[in-house]
Amino acid sequence: MGSSKAFLCACEDVTAEDVQRAFARGYRDLESVKRYTGMGTGPCQGKTCLALAARELLRLGATPGEVAPFTVRPPLHPTSLGALASLDPEALPLEGGAPVPLAPAVTPRPSMPLPARAKVVIIGGGIMGVGLAYNLCRRGITDVVLLERAYVNAGASGRNGGGVRAQWTTPTMIRLARRSLEIGEHFASEMGINVWFRRGGYLFLAPTREHVERIEKNAVLHARHGVRTRILTPAEALEVVPQLDSSRFLAASWNPDDAVVFPWPFAWGYASRAEALGAKVVTFTRVTGFESTGKRITAVVTDRGRIACETVVNACGAWSREVAALAGVKLPNEPERHEILVTEPQKPWLQPLVSVLGSGLYFSQSGRGEIVGGLGDPDEPSGLDTRSTLRFLARFSRAITAAVPITAGLQVMRQWAGCYDVTPDNNPILGAAGHDNFLQLSGFVGHGFMMAPAVTELMAGWMAGDPPDEIFQRFTLDRFARGDVKGEDFIIG
Amino acid sequence: MARLPEPHFAPDCTISVDGREIPARSGESVTSALLAAGRPLLSRSAKYHRPRGPFCLQSSCGSCLVRVDGAPNVRACETACRPGLRVETQNAFGGAAHDLLGAIDLFSPHGIDHHHMATWSQVVNRVAVQASRQLSGLGHLPDQVPAARPPAEELRIDALVVGSGPAGLGAAEALVQGGLRVLLCEQDRALGGRLRCRMHLPGDPPLAWPGEVARAVERAGGRVEARAPVLGLWRDGTELLAAVDRRGAGRMLVVRAPRAVLASGTWAQPPLFPGNDLPGVHGARGLLVALAEDGVVPGERAAVLGQGPEAEAVAERLVAAGMQAERVEGEVARGRGGRRLAALDLADGRRLRCDTLAVATPRMPAAELARAAGAHLELDPATGAFRVKPGPAGLVAPGVWAAGEVCGPCTAAAAVEAGLRAGEAASRG
Repeated sequence: MGSSKAFLCACEDVTAEDVQRAFARGYRDLESVKRYTGMGTGPCQGKTCLALAARELLRLGATPGEVAPFTVRPPLHPTSLGALASLDPEALPLEGGAPVPLAPAVTPRPSMPLPARAKVVIIGGGIMGVGLAYNLCRRGITDVVLLERAYVNAGASGRNGGGVRAQWTTPTMIRLARRSLEIGEHFASEMGINVWFRRGGYLFLAPTREHVERIEKNAVLHARHGVRTRILTPAEALEVVPQLDSSRFLAASWNPDDAVVFPWPFAWGYASRAEALGAKVVTFTRVTGFESTGKRITAVVTDRGRIACETVVNACGAWSREVAALAGVKLPNEPERHEILVTEPQKPWLQPLVSVLGSGLYFSQSGRGEIVGGLGDPDEPSGLDTRSTLRFLARFSRAITAAVPITAGLQVMRQWAGCYDVTPDNNPILGAAGHDNFLQLSGFVGHGFMMAPAVTELMAGWMAGDPPDEIFQRFTLDRFARGDVKGEDFIIG
Repeated sequence: MARLPEPHFAPDCTISVDGREIPARSGESVTSALLAAGRPLLSRSAKYHRPRGPFCLQSSCGSCLVRVDGAPNVRACETACRPGLRVETQNAFGGAAHDLLGAIDLFSPHGIDHHHMATWSQVVNRVAVQASRQLSGLGHLPDQVPAARPPAEELRIDALVVGSGPAGLGAAEALVQGGLRVLLCEQDRALGGRLRCRMHLPGDPPLAWPGEVARAVERAGGRVEARAPVLGLWRDGTELLAAVDRRGAGRMLVVRAPRAVLASGTWAQPPLFPGNDLPGVHGARGLLVALAEDGVVPGERAAVLGQGPEAEAVAERLVAAGMQAERVEGEVARGRGGRRLAALDLADGRRLRCDTLAVATPRMPAAELARAAGAHLELDPATGAFRVKPGPAGLVAPGVWAAGEVCGPCTAAAAVEAGLRAGEAASRG
């Protein structure tokens, strides 16, 4: 018996043909090929496939810059959560290893020549930028150029847990999240790419009386806005997740309609549909400045030349403040590292995304069977830092094995970090700032991924001439000067 | 013949594999017991449910995950046999030998593009997503919560040496000479690295040397840990910070040291041809270690892929063990076989009957730790491998040196030299 499959990555069953297909679709650099094919994300952690993939990409015509190896992800040997929980996090620093560059030192070949002009230039190839590009095209504005300094998904959009929930504490956030859930449900069939949308629900565990009061209050609001949130007793929560340690919480907030998706294809879907409709997605191109006349930006300057434009959108997530500063605009956003990890894949056992209030712990089971989870660190200083720490491995392992003891027997395969884009009131920054045509689309405090489908749809409508949604009037930069600030306080998972 | 005839290679216990008794030697790896029993088939692959067996035999690849005593996704090559050990294959409906889901492979000769499958209708998509979730994952949850691990041990030491092959041993020796307390960590169950293959190449250090270095390290107040993979390299202020999982002893180590020598060696690399994942395709070094230490004779007819003295030595060792072994210096066009390799179609049109392929082509430098420390890499376009490109005496970052094959192919003798130089420089640094 013969087989036509030549396996480049035996862990994830990725064939040479898969890599050839990815390359033909424009996924040329190793980081993107890793994400698109799944190679290097299995139990061998890339030890067996990295060289094969590099060789295959070179054979296909990739440049040496494009085959810079993907970032090293500890633990370098799969290690059980139980073992890692034996480390004392208090004795471990917040320091990572060597700095991790966002783009390789030798810049890979950009995806296309730089256009000389465009009606709209979007800066940032995360979910906000590509979502806006797609929605603008749908509304007939197709003269759009999106500039990304590395590859699509390089920032927080490619580093998050993929949760989409309607359990919020303000009517606005509930409305946006519900719209995102609707879009997520139809995304695969409408955009032609699987995002593994699964309504497994969100289960928030309330460990103290105070947390119980909060989820009870939220549930009343949810009911008023059509969200099916129920408050569960610990015994009822065990029916949803039988492996929980029910002695560790007093009640739980459960919405079976919340969902988890696989983040990467969400952004790829938006980007490739936007390109099909006429937008240009230009990767490995860095914005270095702006040209302006009076109150208007006239051109975006990059390391590869300038683009004259009518409107600029800053959708750079944690890098938004840096980019706005190039235009002389001061944003109050602060980047803040959040770490996350993934285990070896198991057969399906965990239905919802589980989050423990107070600790910031969240975890869910991905479409491939891995447990994906993170945990904020109260001592984390602000700053752009995507390095991983040993301290996080210890803290997360302790937290998840306390919540679900059986996870002590699961092996951690890989850890990474992304940056939240934090604002003083935990609400986004939208609308024009500094210049009349310099639009902001940032400050989503770790929830940009789940808000993007709804927000980019509204923003494209507004840019196409619809009356502005209230969010574009409420969440402007000048609210901080006006003192009109009411914070969002349900910032988990 | 499945084992060398020496009495000390005779099995002394049995383990159970999917309920069937397999003879084994206490302490040897589950993969050694299975190869000796002529059963390289271990599980089914993640997506296409193809037959899979152990490839590297050295705990770097992900092809030998099994369920051991109720714990999922355990590497068979890292699991020591003992009487009554219970091994179960994973991700197979009806057993690894006759997995019904193997049909997925047969019906998709060019693979399944999972990004775009079943996206033409929302209803179909929903069903497909649900079905794919049911098929996802490898092992089931553990049978029970494992016993809590004792608190990790904090260790301050003068120097950390990662890897106990020729370069790591050289470095450890030089550091001890320099009067330093050394922690020598080896991922595998025994010291020696490629010396354990007993290839006896010109200039190879004697087999007794690893033990001598270990004793010297311990006499100087240092420690030697086998079965102790280093999980990462971070910094804590001016010191290096590492975590070591001591798999044999239970307690993890949190290590702080002002200097480290990374002699992490290489990882086995599979060749790229259709059918390259068949059980029976193995990294040559792993195979030679199983032969030398457990007396495992993996089959009757071997092909040895690769060029140069190492491939030649591999073939010689296999022939000396009673196998037929044929060298393949050109390209392989295709591997043939069902649940085990049966033949290779060579690029020159010949068909070579064989049940075992020993892969002795260039290996990939295990550069992960060096990269975590900030080392520069150099790409070898011929192999796609990235080697560490060190500065003088192997310096790759403040307080961090690299030596041996992690910096590119070299003989064991050259690796010893590089290790000594790095160790000497580190002693002064």
